[in-house]
Amino acid sequence: MSGFLVDFSNELANAVERAGASVISVPEGGREGVSGTIWRDGVAITSEHTIRGLDEVTVVMPSGETVTAAVTGRDFGTDIAVLKVPGGAASAVIADESQSRVGEIVLSVGRRKEEGLAATYGLISAIGGPWRSEQGARIDRWLRLDLNPFPGFSGGPVVNARGEVIGMATSGPRRSAATIPASTVNRVVDQLLRHGRIARGYFGVGVQPVAFPEGAARPLGVEGDRGLLVVMVEPRGPAGNAGVLLGDIVVRIDGGELRGAHSLRAALDPEKVGHPVTVDIFRAGKLVQLNVVVGERPEK
Amino acid sequence: MATTLNPEASSGISIGYSVGSVADWLRRITGRICGHRGSRGSGVIWRDGLVVTNAHVALGKLHDLEFFDGGKAQGRLVARDAGNDLAAIKMDVSGLAAAAIRSARELRAGEMVIAVGNPWDGEGAVSAGILHRAAGKQPVIFADIRLAPGNSGGPLADARGNVIGVNSAIFRGLGCAVTSDAVQEFLLKSGVLEAV
Repeated sequence: MSGFLVDFSNELANAVERAGASVISVPEGGREGVSGTIWRDGVAITSEHTIRGLDEVTVVMPSGETVTAAVTGRDFGTDIAVLKVPGGAASAVIADESQSRVGEIVLSVGRRKEEGLAATYGLISAIGGPWRSEQGARIDRWLRLDLNPFPGFSGGPVVNARGEVIGMATSGPRRSAATIPASTVNRVVDQLLRHGRIARGYFGVGVQPVAFPEGAARPLGVEGDRGLLVVMVEPRGPAGNAGVLLGDIVVRIDGGELRGAHSLRAALDPEKVGHPVTVDIFRAGKLVQLNVVVGERPEK
Repeated sequence: MATTLNPEASSGISIGYSVGSVADWLRRITGRICGHRGSRGSGVIWRDGLVVTNAHVALGKLHDLEFFDGGKAQGRLVARDAGNDLAAIKMDVSGLAAAAIRSARELRAGEMVIAVGNPWDGEGAVSAGILHRAAGKQPVIFADIRLAPGNSGGPLADARGNVIGVNSAIFRGLGCAVTSDAVQEFLLKSGVLEAV
């Protein structure tokens, strides 16, 4: 009836098929199984939070073959886990996601053990700059999708109409679909393959946002009206070693004023571990400056 | 005043236009069903004089059918399979256009699908999506498509307008349809359709 629509339909099915050649099923993941993507030869990724606590998982390869895959790296910040899978299967074709445009058609592709390949489609509804995940990790680009996240899609690829991967699907707050862009996946996979984990910075303090005592901050040159009250200091932790005391109010880190507990996160990026940061503290009516060497967050 | 057109969007062919023409065709083979016991939904003219719908739509024996051009018909339930949620209704009108049927078994995940039905807020309403996963041997197919209760019994078609299933349910945000293959089997088994 309509040649154009038939071509369009075939293109979509081709994109699913092309992407599906590197989509795996991880039946133990989550409540009813999740998906994964063969990112490089012998290296697959899946959604980390769905396989927490497992050292190896069963994987159904695109060929239908079932194998046991070792979990060789995990990063809870970006929700990426790296699995060692047999080589020789097709690796995903990775798109340069910086070329993605709002309005572009995207497909979320997954695989389930029993039913095989599955897909939903939608659009890129907004593209934004870098953001931080709930766990504090830096994600290089915000890709908001207008797409129905189906059960078990986590860990599978989000692909463009050519079947090229623009990111890994994961779940955001309130059952929304979040996408970890391909550039971030590449960066994290590189680090995980090298070290098996992503170091996260650590101060060893508990903080709570508070308003400064009236009229106290301005005379000291502090612009904002809030700081972070230190309510816990870990003995021999990075902050404790630097002399941070219970009751201190943290005002700035590396010269940048804090707006809330989330402002600490930028100071805790992986590359900061082992390096000193200057911390301005409001203590007993005065501003005190300390140097804290950022530690590495211990394994949970 | 002249309407301004986006020059890039007015190339003469568009997804919207193409979906519209498939929908126009599907409306011709889709009827609105009102049962004498208050049920309501859609039905597909499967063969001349024969309408297929869901068992949960065709609750009673007698049904009023209405078509998009305003034509009306009386329908009588001739077969019902609650397990597969299918029902067949013979109507007292013949010569209407009937569906072109395609087997759902050959569909690929990602193929475009189009549904037409009669939700309460839009008669002959069209929605479009993709096939969620290949049907295999299952009697149902899932599609990533937005359906409403009035879609029940209406057609799910491919990009050519060939009917691949009868919409029957919404499951976790996915549209669920009984495959055309299951419909054919139902019609043959119940003796409504003679094997050719």
